[in-house]
Amino acid sequence: MKIEIIRETLKNKSLNKEFALITNLVNGESEIFFPGNNPSGMFSKYSEEIEKIFHSNKNGIIENSEIFVQTYKNPIKVIIVGAVDISMYLIDFAKNLNFEIIIVDPRGYFASKERFPDTKIINKWPNEAFDEIETNTKTALVTLTHDPKIDDPALQYALKNKFFYIGALGSKKTHEKRCSRLVEAGFKKVELEKINGPIGIKLGGKSPSEIALSIISQLVYEKYKN
Amino acid sequence: MSNFSEKKIFEEADNWLKNNKKVSLATVVQTWGSSPFGIGSRMIVSEDGNFLGSVSGGCVEAKVVEECISLMKTKKICKKIDFKVSNENAWEIGLACGGDISIYIEEIK
Repeated sequence: MKIEIIRETLKNKSLNKEFALITNLVNGESEIFFPGNNPSGMFSKYSEEIEKIFHSNKNGIIENSEIFVQTYKNPIKVIIVGAVDISMYLIDFAKNLNFEIIIVDPRGYFASKERFPDTKIINKWPNEAFDEIETNTKTALVTLTHDPKIDDPALQYALKNKFFYIGALGSKKTHEKRCSRLVEAGFKKVELEKINGPIGIKLGGKSPSEIALSIISQLVYEKYKN
Repeated sequence: MSNFSEKKIFEEADNWLKNNKKVSLATVVQTWGSSPFGIGSRMIVSEDGNFLGSVSGGCVEAKVVEECISLMKTKKICKKIDFKVSNENAWEIGLACGGDISIYIEEIK
């Protein structure tokens, strides 16, 4: 492979572009493929198959060929509402697990640069913050303030916009109360099943780092579930 | 999907090349059974045997390093290596997980 292709791959990744790196395993030729475009040379006759592998989020050799396709998709965006202790551990775990983290918290003393260096922080109420964040069905929401004033609007937004994952910190009782509030706000009970509450996989731990581990484990599980 | 650490691996490959070292890239291109690392896992190997990344969680790395070094000594551009349990070298290289794996190696130029 040419180093230029590697540099181009790094550049495209840093620009959050989604693409594939295709390699001919016989002669070592490689090129970068953008969906919807035609690959060049001998790759062109495989454009349909390349596109198919790309859209299935997989890597692999095209059947009956020697063409290898490596797919590059953006990491899952995780919006954490609440710049609390658990969030710090979540950020640490997420660094090595290919999740992009954004912290939302209107309370400036929580969401400070000192507490969260190198993290994108939006120091606003969720409804205002969502105006600045591009979200889609691949976005995840984790609410950690257990203050209805802050958590509930974020949960409402995530439910309406069909987020990939929604989790809310709080006991079973807290979650029951939360669900009643959301029903009052017009959501159907069946819609609320989408919320993981209490959040996380049951590991038994209670410390902030242990709770963060249970949350990040649930996110990884949801990512590969299907 | 791409491995999270691939960024580190690619950046380091670029650094090694800038330091005038020959570098090879190894990629898992096919797996069967219970091989531990997914398709697309990568590792780089320098001509002096330094390596970064992983293609099998330790089972076949030593052999891959050896193959990469010998590839860089020849004029061959690339090579696909199959590690199979039925292969008589299986125990020797320690593919204890019971999976089969194809690794593609190529020099970065």
